[in-house]
Amino acid sequence: MQKTIAPPSIPLVQRISAVLWPAFLCAGAATGVFFTFFDPITLLECEGEPPMSRMGAYTLGFFMFWLLCIASSIGTSYFLGSGTHDPVQPAQTS
Amino acid sequence: MDDVTRGQRESGVAVSIDEQVEQSLYAQRERIYPREVHGVFATMRVLAVVVLLGLFYGVLWLHWDGQQLLLFDLPARQFHIFGLTLFPQDFFFLSAILIIGALTLFFFTALAGRLWCGYACPQTVWTEAFLWIERKVEGDRRKQMKLDKSPWTGRKLAIKASKHAIWIIFSLWTGFTFVGYFTPVLDLGSRIVSFDLGAWESFWVLFYGFATYGNAGWMREQVCIYMCPYARFQSAMFDNNTLVISYDTERGEQRGARKRSSDYKGAGLGDCIDCTMCVQVCPTGIDIRDGLQYQCIACAACVDACDRVMDQMGYEKGLIRYTTESALSGEQPKILRPRVIVYAVVLLGLIAAVAYGLATRTPLALDVIRDRNTLFRETNEGLVENVYTLKLINMDDAHHRFNVTATGIDGMQLELDADPVPVSAREVLSISARVKADPYLLKRASSAITFTLRAEDDASLQVEEEARFLGPVVQAQ
Repeated sequence: MQKTIAPPSIPLVQRISAVLWPAFLCAGAATGVFFTFFDPITLLECEGEPPMSRMGAYTLGFFMFWLLCIASSIGTSYFLGSGTHDPVQPAQTS
Repeated sequence: MDDVTRGQRESGVAVSIDEQVEQSLYAQRERIYPREVHGVFATMRVLAVVVLLGLFYGVLWLHWDGQQLLLFDLPARQFHIFGLTLFPQDFFFLSAILIIGALTLFFFTALAGRLWCGYACPQTVWTEAFLWIERKVEGDRRKQMKLDKSPWTGRKLAIKASKHAIWIIFSLWTGFTFVGYFTPVLDLGSRIVSFDLGAWESFWVLFYGFATYGNAGWMREQVCIYMCPYARFQSAMFDNNTLVISYDTERGEQRGARKRSSDYKGAGLGDCIDCTMCVQVCPTGIDIRDGLQYQCIACAACVDACDRVMDQMGYEKGLIRYTTESALSGEQPKILRPRVIVYAVVLLGLIAAVAYGLATRTPLALDVIRDRNTLFRETNEGLVENVYTLKLINMDDAHHRFNVTATGIDGMQLELDADPVPVSAREVLSISARVKADPYLLKRASSAITFTLRAEDDASLQVEEEARFLGPVVQAQ
């Protein structure tokens, strides 16, 4: 791999964690706040019989928030790159 | 790689390990085999693990009057906290309780450093439990390292398979317990036994089980180093008087091996015999002698290990010890400082506010939802009718009968399905309400009306909720 989007000194496991984990935390908070104010049963009942239980709606809601936050984190990680195609600089060991 | 170089390399973790990073996700991480340690702090940590895990696996089974004592009942949208029932309307209290939790953490961090990380963090607690299982199955540190280096044989396979099988069972039980805090556990348990678990609940049991297995079995110290936000910002709460685990450089250096009875001071050596025990026991693989590092979770394993060595050498204990920066530089440590006092005052103020709020809260709420399909309709008598759904939320632990009244427009009439309306303890009841008014008395197209809900047996149990009444604009004759 010649080009990297994040600064080269960051290990891959850290890069992946840095995208997934804050997104997970934010999605958890967003799910909590959203479903505190909106009961999924009330949201879904305009369509007649609700197509899923509250647990189902919470779960889907959480994963939709998580995907959204992951997308945002990936964007952040991408734009943190320099934008030029300089070869990866060897890290300084001190 | 021997322990010392590993310790030195790990301490410079972010900068020195990038070469292999591009190769593989795991290649850059040298597996850490923390050596088992005995001592005062190890005993305290085991005690914390037993108590905290005991609480986690036990409390959800406590019931009182048929009600689970601690249950964040998501399907029913009610939180039961030891006799207190919170509803979505009590969002404020829940947020305040979370903020109190965070402030408590800040307070103890300012006072005593990373107590949380070393003794109470779920990551530490479950990792300890997983390490214990690993030691029981694979043997001590030396045996584990030997086993991992040996070629795959039937014996190795059997040992590894047993370890993972026990880990997985333990994780699944953890996942089940976790879900049992969010959906009634007796019901959940009986449905598991009869293989009647819903898809979503099964999913969450597996999800949390997998998270436990992955974090405590595989990720371990990487969670603290890469994923923990607290590890990064805790230094903001530190000052020179915060309790940290520190190596006494002045006393320890020049480190070096020596014979027990030798005159090491004469040879220019300090008290550190460079046995690397402190590095071997460290669960995050750092060398505490390099100074305070953010990877240090303050578990004090190195304190215990070093104290034993000091005992064996006949030196004074405490070469590595709980101390403060100011004490190390010879100053008198101060416990009461502005930072600690400010955290304490804010914390106590918030606790008092929440306690007051909970004590004086009206355990009753009313939601008014207008009928979405029609704005209004005209009745045979020439009146204008609006239809509402009233949600009566009785948060009290007792059954009540409620009177509903509506005010705001002269001569308005209210029709309900029942009057008074009986609502059981902790029940959310939806009823339909039809409000009629004379169109000639309506001053505008949208008028404000007020619904009042009052318990028959308790006048203090009363709430009001505003709503809009819509009608045609009638020109005055």
